[in-house]
Amino acid sequence: MTEQEALIREAIAAEADQAVDYRSVLANLHGKRSRRRPIALIAATTLTAVAAAVAVIVPLSVDRSAAPPPPIEQAAPPTGQTVLLIGLDDSANTDSVVLARFSPDGSIAAASLPRDSWVDIPGVGMGKLNSAYVQAHTAAQAEGRDGDAAGAEALVRTVEALAGVEIDHYAAVDMAGFAALGDAVGGVEVCLKAATRDEYSGVDLPAGRQTLSEDQALAFLRQRHGLMQGDLDRVVRHQAFLRGLVAKVTGEVKNDPAKLARLVGAAHAQVRTDPGWDLLEFAGRLTRNISVRTATIPVGEPIEVASGWGFPVSPDLVRSFAAGFLADWPGSTMAPPATGEPSSDEGCVN
Amino acid sequence: MPDDDYDQFVTDRLDRLLRYATALTCDKYLAQDIVQDVLLRARQRWARIGAVDVPYLYVKRMVTNEYLSWRRRRAARDVSSTHTTLDELAPVVADPAVRHAERDAMRARIAVLPRKQRAALVLRYYEDSTDAEIAQILGCTEGTVRSHISRALQKLRINENTPSEVLR
Repeated sequence: MTEQEALIREAIAAEADQAVDYRSVLANLHGKRSRRRPIALIAATTLTAVAAAVAVIVPLSVDRSAAPPPPIEQAAPPTGQTVLLIGLDDSANTDSVVLARFSPDGSIAAASLPRDSWVDIPGVGMGKLNSAYVQAHTAAQAEGRDGDAAGAEALVRTVEALAGVEIDHYAAVDMAGFAALGDAVGGVEVCLKAATRDEYSGVDLPAGRQTLSEDQALAFLRQRHGLMQGDLDRVVRHQAFLRGLVAKVTGEVKNDPAKLARLVGAAHAQVRTDPGWDLLEFAGRLTRNISVRTATIPVGEPIEVASGWGFPVSPDLVRSFAAGFLADWPGSTMAPPATGEPSSDEGCVN
Repeated sequence: MPDDDYDQFVTDRLDRLLRYATALTCDKYLAQDIVQDVLLRARQRWARIGAVDVPYLYVKRMVTNEYLSWRRRRAARDVSSTHTTLDELAPVVADPAVRHAERDAMRARIAVLPRKQRAALVLRYYEDSTDAEIAQILGCTEGTVRSHISRALQKLRINENTPSEVLR
């Protein structure tokens, strides 16, 4: 074999190594079969996955400065829905947990729960919020059950117990899936306050405004090391990326059938929801005049806990916060609390 | 039990099919879409496919055809940029790093080959298929297979000497 052929072999093997994990595809294939839905609905599901993606994207990304989300022409249904939005890394860690209330009037309230919150996990005891999902996920898989569903349900129960609310549905997406959504629309623009480079995440980006490739986007979304506030900075990055994604979708992509088709495909592959969720009905909630308010649940100063450190949370405080913040107030457009972002380089993140 | 048979086939071959399709498409998500679609279609016809001598070959042919007939071809992906940037920033000292860069440059060159040439190359150098098998999968003669491969090799050789900015 020549030197060139050896290099070709290596190159093709390296390309093949990029393949997605077959277990997730296997789960998809099984899901497609066991789902007791009529065949005709599968096409509809593809379309409504976009609605789910929008459901994930919109509440996280829209703030005072962002453009309004795309208009969807349908009347809002009469009842509100409470949805848990879950952002996962590739080891089933919940990097992003957002409790969102979709009010009957079209307004959305989205409260972030820091992943290091020290909380009571029903049936387990005290632990970090991000351990609720992964523990149930691992246990279920060991018993041959659906780990994704078990993890999401455990996290739903934990947040319900903490915030004293009933959660109607959940939607989960991988961080790699976020990056893929960005790639599907042709790259997402973000702005960095300073150049950043970190070996853990593989991030290596200059300062300033730039459009991220898929690999860069994933590194950008993952980086936690080397950031002053670690995970809290990362949450802000997630929001910046999502703002960029929404801007792109509402800007050029909605008029570009090829990109839209890729976005649909990516959303279909990446966003999982609970089986009982009527997404068609839900899509109807994304009305023309959406208003969004965002906030983070009240947490205390970091304390030492068994597994390192965590944010102490008082269930009483969280409940009264949730009761007020998530309440369905007709026409409510309360501005979100200030996040401490400087206005000089608006939209730029650490 | 055609259903059990199909399940077994998917469990055994899914990983390999995904890797093959990824090498073929240079796009893991497109590869996933293609493999999922093909397997769902294959299930409808499993009574027939399961009866052929080598179902894997048959399904691989379906995957290959799906790729070859895929219309909305994406622009070639910039697979090497990250490493190229890193190499520019840090002086390269160790041999593995050079090899890594060479390999990624080769990946980028393979990614822009015409589809049939790339398919023939992947079948020979990844799947280790014989010319006869490749001919069967691509639906052409063995002579055509050899010409696809020699043209691809020639192109990859020529490209080796072109300025590197073409590759970025």
